[in-house]
Amino acid sequence: MFTRKVLKSAWLSSLPVLMGYLTMGFAAGVLFAGRIRITAVGFWAFLTSATSISGALQFLMSGWAQDHTPLLDVALLTFCLNLRYAMYGFSLLERFRNIPWHQKLYLIWSLTDETYALEVENKTPAGENSIAYCLAVAFFDHLYWVIGVTAGALFGSGIRFDNRGIDFAMTALFLVILTDQCREKRNRIPALTGLFATVACGLVFSLGNVLIPSMVLMLALLLLLRGKLAKKEAAS
Amino acid sequence: MNEMTSYLIGLTLVTAGVTFLLRAFPFLVFGAAKKPPELIRYLGEVVSPAAIAMLAVYCYWAYFKARPFSAAYGWNLPEIISGLLVIGLHLWKRNALLSIIPGVILYMFLVQKVFP
Repeated sequence: MFTRKVLKSAWLSSLPVLMGYLTMGFAAGVLFAGRIRITAVGFWAFLTSATSISGALQFLMSGWAQDHTPLLDVALLTFCLNLRYAMYGFSLLERFRNIPWHQKLYLIWSLTDETYALEVENKTPAGENSIAYCLAVAFFDHLYWVIGVTAGALFGSGIRFDNRGIDFAMTALFLVILTDQCREKRNRIPALTGLFATVACGLVFSLGNVLIPSMVLMLALLLLLRGKLAKKEAAS
Repeated sequence: MNEMTSYLIGLTLVTAGVTFLLRAFPFLVFGAAKKPPELIRYLGEVVSPAAIAMLAVYCYWAYFKARPFSAAYGWNLPEIISGLLVIGLHLWKRNALLSIIPGVILYMFLVQKVFP
């Protein structure tokens, strides 16, 4: 099933992801090693990146580990941040229906934004197995991310350099994603809702406790706005 | 086993577990359905931009607390200028790395050399 041809086309498709994952992974790894004082920080960077494979989450983990944020808060934040993943599988259900369970397990586990986009685009060469193509694309992307994060953590813990300000990579990542989302009109009111909820809760709660109430308020407002926003979406 | 090691084990399990369950959701619950239920579809669409906006505000909130508005911290100009650079570059070039890398370099330069 993994012919030379299918591996080559999967690798070519994954190349645009290579630079992004290595660079952002590296920054997340440097931050991880800078904030977590533990031997074998490279091992933990490897383990966390290989199991969750999630960009923004990897940045947030450094702060959580430093502050020992309660795991229930971590679960809620992870849920909100990655809820979009729960949508992706629907467009792949049909194609992944009758494949062996271990292949399905890996394809689900490795489903990032970028991998999803490549799997939907599906540039399997004619006559080749599209599942082999998806598995190979997923594996290449997975590999780039793990290498980026682990290398960043090893670099950050091994070499002494002034890394003050590297945390801005996370802020910049959020600003970039937000800018992209706000290009689409239908995302603007939801984005404003998140902004409003966080500013409102920031005025009441301390910094360490602000995210959970913000998330609750944000979800409540989004549910209240459902009738209005769903109608707009249908129209656009 | 020290405190950090046990926390990291829990952190790994929770982040990987929640993320995996979200990714698996369509396969677990709706093996037969082709479309997500309406409420899930709605939340999946709107929660993402709202959560990212929330986290962006949160990052700035953290900066404003850690580096309170004053001459010593350059009146928070490093955070504001670098953020505007990132947004500006991204509106212009639409290339994530070309927006993020200059922003981070500018920020690191400002907090290390100009307003340390």
